[in-house]
Amino acid sequence: MHQPGRYRTPLLLALTLLLVFTVLSLSLKSSPALRKVQGLVVSMTAPGLEGLEYVGRSAKQLWLGYFYLVGVRRQNAELQRQLEEFKQREVHFQEAEQALTRLETLLDLKRQVALPVIGARVIAYDPTLWSRAAIINQGKAQGVKEGLPVLAPQGIVGRIVGIYPEYAKVMLIVDRKSSADAMVQRTRIRGMLKGKGGNRCSLEFVPKNADVQVGDLVLASGLVGLYPKGLVFGKVTAANKKNPGVFQEIEVSPNVDLSTLEEVLVVKVATLAFPEP
Amino acid sequence: MIAPLIAFSLVGLIIFYVQNLVLFPYIHLRLLALLVFYVGLRPSLGLPLALGLALGCLQDSYATTPFGVHLGASLVLVAMARYFRRRLLLQQLGFQAVASLVALAVQEVYLQFVTFMLSYQPLFPHDLTGVHTMEILGTAALGPLMHLLVQGMEDSLRRLGWRPRSDPMPYQPFGE
Repeated sequence: MHQPGRYRTPLLLALTLLLVFTVLSLSLKSSPALRKVQGLVVSMTAPGLEGLEYVGRSAKQLWLGYFYLVGVRRQNAELQRQLEEFKQREVHFQEAEQALTRLETLLDLKRQVALPVIGARVIAYDPTLWSRAAIINQGKAQGVKEGLPVLAPQGIVGRIVGIYPEYAKVMLIVDRKSSADAMVQRTRIRGMLKGKGGNRCSLEFVPKNADVQVGDLVLASGLVGLYPKGLVFGKVTAANKKNPGVFQEIEVSPNVDLSTLEEVLVVKVATLAFPEP
Repeated sequence: MIAPLIAFSLVGLIIFYVQNLVLFPYIHLRLLALLVFYVGLRPSLGLPLALGLALGCLQDSYATTPFGVHLGASLVLVAMARYFRRRLLLQQLGFQAVASLVALAVQEVYLQFVTFMLSYQPLFPHDLTGVHTMEILGTAALGPLMHLLVQGMEDSLRRLGWRPRSDPMPYQPFGE
């Protein structure tokens, strides 16, 4: 006589493995059904996060803005904002100066400054260490599309990789799947900026004879049409030429604090050619 | 099973919110994994499986890793919890914490292997290994608290009339 529960465990194990492999393979094929599941989960859970984040922010603002040094905090925030604005302007001025020295007669400032954007608030992050992503409160309904670059006042944040009715998922530039064409501002040397997880990126495929120094600014090259040219990725924090191989090991620290983002801008121009699901 | 699944899923969602709004980016802990493991130590098998699927889906939806990576990791924890439950007598909180440490380590190996196979990252990248180790140790240290939380949830559900399948039927004398 067979016991009824004899095959239960192997059956469950087989079904579980089948489920995991099916889901993973569907995910690798960018299955629309899985995207809908993701969208449903985010749409159901993100409003709670958004509400709690709003309550927390309001309480924090009430405490900091009223009980704690009324006025000083507001003045400090304004000065910080102005400082960031001036830093960003300085980068633009340096860019313009270098372009002039190369006898460029036309400087398309409009392209760099007046970009059509959508303002968004970061409402959630992926709290695990396995990926670096954020959820913003603007989605398909507001005109957000996959591949659009996301910026903060200090520089580039990442790009949209998932869109849901009212929300969108942003892959941060430090995510291991993130890569973009970049250049060193001072020497115009180009490389591939790749995310390294945590809070770091690396500039890859830069030959050892190229002049790259700690402190150099790394900007978007504008190639591939992913990020608008001249926007800041970050600063070189280490450059190692003693490693084996033909390329340098260059570590780049993002200009934006990607763990404490609050408001970001989604640029509506540069898009990746994503296949429609 | 529906009532405890909803209750534990809500607990998981609250933990996820707390991680997102309070702990991130300063403290990294695998609290959802710990919840799945401790629920997996309870008698029912269906509940941890369903909970693992729900919480795995939740984590996958917020990540950029391929959908299914965290889902599979949750199921690994359920499998480890069932293994420990069957092979060892986990009556003491200390042993449970050690078992959770082993389970989290196995889950880490699974995640490293899967992300490597999917070309997402190199196998055991040296730059993040220390952080992952601290994360696992810190999470396992919170095991006794998670045990109390799961126990408390079960007691609350029992008071509301829920009875696990493994509980004996209440005595009913004949002729009444």
